[in-house]
Amino acid sequence: MTKRIQFATKALRHKVLFLIGFATKVSIYQVLFFTSLSLLFTSCLRLDSNLFNVSDKISEYKWDDYTGEQDFKLDASYKIQDSMMYQFTMDSKGKGDTKSYKIYGMYIGDLNQIANDTVILYCHGNKWHMDFYWQRAKLLAHTGGKHRFGVLMIDYRGYGLSDGPPSEEGLYNDADAAMQWLKSKGLSEQRLIVYGFSMGTSAATELSATPRSMRPHKLILEAPFASAAVMSADGAGLNVPASYTTNLKIDNAEEIKKVKQDFCWIHGTQDNFLGIKTHGEVVYKNHGGNYKEAHRIEGADHGQVPTTFGFQNYNDMLYKFIMR
Amino acid sequence: MSKIQSSFILIVTMSLLIACAPSRVIKPLAKGEQAVGANIGGPLIDFGGIPIFIPYTSAFYAKGLNDKTTAFGSIHLTASSFGVFQTDMGICRELWYNPKNKLGVSANPALNFALDRWEWKAKLWPQLDVNLHKEFGSNKLIYLGLCNWFELSRIRAHSEVQPKNWFMSPQVGFQYSPKKWTYGIESKWVAPGVNNQPNVVDYLGPNHKGAIGVYFQFIRRF
Repeated sequence: MTKRIQFATKALRHKVLFLIGFATKVSIYQVLFFTSLSLLFTSCLRLDSNLFNVSDKISEYKWDDYTGEQDFKLDASYKIQDSMMYQFTMDSKGKGDTKSYKIYGMYIGDLNQIANDTVILYCHGNKWHMDFYWQRAKLLAHTGGKHRFGVLMIDYRGYGLSDGPPSEEGLYNDADAAMQWLKSKGLSEQRLIVYGFSMGTSAATELSATPRSMRPHKLILEAPFASAAVMSADGAGLNVPASYTTNLKIDNAEEIKKVKQDFCWIHGTQDNFLGIKTHGEVVYKNHGGNYKEAHRIEGADHGQVPTTFGFQNYNDMLYKFIMR
Repeated sequence: MSKIQSSFILIVTMSLLIACAPSRVIKPLAKGEQAVGANIGGPLIDFGGIPIFIPYTSAFYAKGLNDKTTAFGSIHLTASSFGVFQTDMGICRELWYNPKNKLGVSANPALNFALDRWEWKAKLWPQLDVNLHKEFGSNKLIYLGLCNWFELSRIRAHSEVQPKNWFMSPQVGFQYSPKKWTYGIESKWVAPGVNNQPNVVDYLGPNHKGAIGVYFQFIRRF
């Protein structure tokens, strides 16, 4: 028994001495190495969720009565009669979804005429909710004259009153759900125009490049971003991979190569957020179809294209593109 | 304006990775002398109307190989928290020193390396800092220098031309070294040759060029 205790004590002392010896011999380099390795495998901060700005919570949509921040506000002549506004919900369940989400939408136009109308599906930017973009949707509803075209706008999941957490795949699934809704109302592909603004250009481009429920007839992109890679490189100065900052796979500059539909690109020359040179020009250049037109709006910053260009000019330009 | 959310995390990670640390060593350590240090700081940005510096953090170790050359290596803690292993390793070499005036010139050639855990993409970029330093009394030092980063790639995403391959940043700093500790502050004008607009980050730099960086450093010698 005593021998066993002596043996155990000796073994323990050896182990302690070994650990002390190891601790004193281990170099700072090794400490740094193992520390960084452990950090490397435990860290998980990512930018992905920061793409989605859903910070302004609302309990109802107020449309014209909305008094929060907006890029611009139209005068009374642009008012949409209540009878031509249809707020509704739909279920969205698509690729990768394990459940369906209730998505809110607003249709401007005559519901009973969707089968005969040309409809612009407006994919809004990353900010807040449909109230913020309501003026833009109204402006689109005046393209070619009031209610010449129907306009559908939705809040992606996590935006406004729509259910669920926002995600990249969710953007595509929800925009596709909007197309399913239009299809169920009888809209034909020949009469579907997709308009994407800023973050919404990803859903518009993706669903034009790789159609799901419907193949949009024409694509309009306002202030598109090229890709997460360009955003990272612009921010860092160096050509750093996008994976250093985000797991998002949004890549309009590559997806647009698959787009064969007619394409209209609009971008402010003074866009201080998504620069026209590194983002917009690259997307425009890479378009894979036969017809494209570019509208570089002199002096316009991000979100200022309609105001700088002028509402009438903006509507006229869109009308010409849609009707050609 | 419908900008992507001005989240602090976004700004931290999208901003100039190259501007995330001050010069590691200004005056070489004595032969065999060692030092560990940490720094916090980065380029100034407009954050909701308030100018703040981005709190990049990193830690480093340095050892005097001889009286004129010190080797150093670091890890970038902020980058690590995003799943990116980033380090810079190099030497500080005294090129010229006048003991009478306590005036010297040192150069820090270094290699920066980064690797992410998500797609295992690696990035390597060289750096060269050159500093003119002057000691005052027994424990104060000021320095004036140029920090240079080099982008080796000629193209960037979507086969576009990399717009700039040499980023030069003038810098000035002060160090106070009572006994075994050194406390330093450094400021640099990061990439003054680059327009800071348009960009996802609102950098603050004179005439919308580059960004002013501010860094605090703490070093323990032993």
